[in-house]
Amino acid sequence: MTTYLLRRLLQAVLTLFVVSLILFGLISVTPGGFMTVYAEKSDMTAADLARIRANLGLDDPVPIRYVKWLGNLLKGDWGRSLTSKRPVLEEIGSRLPNTLLLMSLMLICTLLVAIPLGILSAIRQYSWLDNVLTTIAFAGQSLPVFWFGLLLIIVFSVLLRGPDGKPLLPGSGMYTLGEPFSLWDRIRHLILPVTMLTFVSAAEYMRYMRSAMLDVIHEDYIRTARAKGIQEWVVIYKHALRNAIIPLVTLLSLDLPSLFAGALFTETIFAWPGIGRLYFTAALKNDYPLVMAILTIYSALIILSNLLVDLIYAMLDPRIRLS
Amino acid sequence: MKPSHSLLIIAVLLVLTACSSSPSSSPSGSSQTMPTTAVTQPTADQPAVDPNAPKQGGTLIFGTPQEPAILNTLLTTSSIEDAVTSLFVEGLVQVNDKGEYVPVLAEELPTVSEDGLVVTWKLRKGVRFSNGLEFTCEDVKFTMEGALSDLSQVSTSGYSSIETLECPDPYTVVATFSEVYAPYLRLFAYIVPHDAGPLDQMETWAYNQKPWGTGPFVLEEWVAGDHLTFVRNPYYREEGKPYLDKVIIRVLPSREVGIQLLGTGEIHALWDITEADLATIEQSAGQNVTYKATVTGENELLVLNFGNNDGSAPADPATNPHPILYDLRVRQAIQYAINKQMIADTLLYGKVKPGSTVLPAGPFACPQPASEYNPERAKALLEEAGWQVGADGIREKDGMRLSLKINSTSGNLLREQTEQVLAEMLKQVGIELTIENMPSDVFFAGGESDGIRDTGKFDIILYTTGPGLDPDSHLFSNYSSARIPTAENDWAGANFSRYINPDVDAWIDEAAIVMDQDVRKELYCKVATQINQDLPRIFLYERLSITAHRQEFHNLTISPSFVDFAWAAQDWWLDQ
Repeated sequence: MTTYLLRRLLQAVLTLFVVSLILFGLISVTPGGFMTVYAEKSDMTAADLARIRANLGLDDPVPIRYVKWLGNLLKGDWGRSLTSKRPVLEEIGSRLPNTLLLMSLMLICTLLVAIPLGILSAIRQYSWLDNVLTTIAFAGQSLPVFWFGLLLIIVFSVLLRGPDGKPLLPGSGMYTLGEPFSLWDRIRHLILPVTMLTFVSAAEYMRYMRSAMLDVIHEDYIRTARAKGIQEWVVIYKHALRNAIIPLVTLLSLDLPSLFAGALFTETIFAWPGIGRLYFTAALKNDYPLVMAILTIYSALIILSNLLVDLIYAMLDPRIRLS
Repeated sequence: MKPSHSLLIIAVLLVLTACSSSPSSSPSGSSQTMPTTAVTQPTADQPAVDPNAPKQGGTLIFGTPQEPAILNTLLTTSSIEDAVTSLFVEGLVQVNDKGEYVPVLAEELPTVSEDGLVVTWKLRKGVRFSNGLEFTCEDVKFTMEGALSDLSQVSTSGYSSIETLECPDPYTVVATFSEVYAPYLRLFAYIVPHDAGPLDQMETWAYNQKPWGTGPFVLEEWVAGDHLTFVRNPYYREEGKPYLDKVIIRVLPSREVGIQLLGTGEIHALWDITEADLATIEQSAGQNVTYKATVTGENELLVLNFGNNDGSAPADPATNPHPILYDLRVRQAIQYAINKQMIADTLLYGKVKPGSTVLPAGPFACPQPASEYNPERAKALLEEAGWQVGADGIREKDGMRLSLKINSTSGNLLREQTEQVLAEMLKQVGIELTIENMPSDVFFAGGESDGIRDTGKFDIILYTTGPGLDPDSHLFSNYSSARIPTAENDWAGANFSRYINPDVDAWIDEAAIVMDQDVRKELYCKVATQINQDLPRIFLYERLSITAHRQEFHNLTISPSFVDFAWAAQDWWLDQ
């Protein structure tokens, strides 16, 4: 077990190294470059441009820049954002709580909705309920996120009005500006983005839950359990669910990194100041230290969560042995 | 149904309600309840009964689709940053809404020595920064040293011509130039306080994110990605001003969202609307929304390439000319074939003036007669130049088709429509125009990234540019032959046409070292007239700077220098 873990960790470090190399390469070949904003100012002299380029560390050839970046990273220095000059970890840290709040609420709601509905859909297979739920799930998976988000805004923030004539639900931001802190106000601002994210992701989870449950329900041990006269809900929840939940654990673990990365479309549509939008604006401005930091942390989280999945599997299913 | 299932369904319903219920009433739905901390002292110019008198207090919310990243004037890179800094940064001078320089932190405009080399300022006494420290000559000196310091990201043009800047007393500034720098006033348009931090550590200054200044407001809170809250500067020099208690800059995901929020009253103003949005804004007029627009001095324009479009980027296009566009008659024909009025009327709802001059606004404005729309004349010129109509209606000469490509930034509906209209107009006279747009990063990329403008790999490009208040740097970098970007000069300059006219070069150079503003104006006007004869560029229409706002927001005046939306924020007030 220990050797297995060590081997996997070593692999993880190597993978991360290769990933960062590829990312750095890709970023450096994107056209434009950070200097474009300065070149647009007509009074910049060639000497000014050369000085600024040198200060930003854009003078060196790409391989040297990568080595410098990696060297600093190993010393724990992630660098500074080219636009704000703040340390990139500080930039990320200022947005992380917002993204964590949004995404963890989304995951909780997703599980609370998807697991019961998936089970219900499976044990009532081909009933009208199953048909309706499956259709909604299909729709949820096929809808373009941005379109659905705009639809929610038009309905709940523009068309529908509360008794005071104000929009029923706020369509953007995290809270009402210029007012003292109010928990209710925060919750109101969360409703639309969380609903949108939950709808899309619960659709996926529900379909997994349903098919996993269907697989399990026809197993011999379920028939045996029923034959022993155990109550139906005990059969479903104690015997079937425990086995059917394994694929969901995989799905969930692989979704955990998105807690960090946020949701670009949702954050953009609902003006949510999270990591997704931070990444998007940084990428638009070619702010490479910031882009690299977000992508590298995200990659590390994906690699770690994969490892986590394998470990959890061994715990959930004693038949799996790690070696 | 078995009890277990109904339990399950109830649980699901509960969860669904928890995750997505829409509450029918809201205790805190209003975004307009203002803090009641208005200053109560009545001022002389504020009689109680006059409805037009400014009201004290209130929180104004200004929406912007861009987010500032840094607020140190020496390190800003985007126009929203320049705009937001104008809430707290002041200079010795600023430009008012008529485009004139007026003293701000100086008692009057400076005196200039006979030879134009010594500029002497008298500073206002008793001006305090929002941290309580007095503003003196030391801050002016620090600002200049900051601009010239290694980590600064502002242009050193002009600053590098200052030989010494001395403070004989705290309220006198004597700047001695080593050579005459005519647009010297712009060098004193902002002040960075001298206690901001050591210049060799500028990147780590706390000032970058928590700045202070002498202006009417001071930054209180900055929630990254969401908003910036500015409160009154307690030391602001004008009694009773600013009228507002707070100004909040709210970061929005897009202009479209901003226009929505303007209608619902969640924001009071929206920065940087485009001309194409004006129709939407006018539809919202019933919701108390209106706008302010001013010409910026910029034109939406076509840049015509004199050099070959093969990327050889010659410093002199005569050595490797563009096979079609180097001929003046073809360029004239293109201008005659374009109905600028029609573009302004149909695509821009008649809100803009057709372009006619490189200097449309400001103290150096040089109006020129509108170009004539005359397709017949265009055809005649093309015939004269040897371009004969071919089988498919497109002209040909020596086996070459009269086919040109136009490039611009993609994702801009107005530009795409403009290109299509241009293609249609040029087709009428036998010129084929093909459209190829690219993301703005690619379009504006520099020569080192193989950008099409620097390397001359284009026939015609469409974008917006124009002089700031003083045309010196714009005319020099866009029209002087010394500013043709080549690999040799590290792609410096914006004379993408590779336009060479010795007269223009001489006038621009002379205007930069003459102190008499009337003489300068005359010289720049000669340049503008000559440009319209040589046609390195064709001006399509004059760009506007537009800020949409709600009717209850009073005294918003925008200055033609485009970025200073908050140049007179101390006079803003809200009708509540």
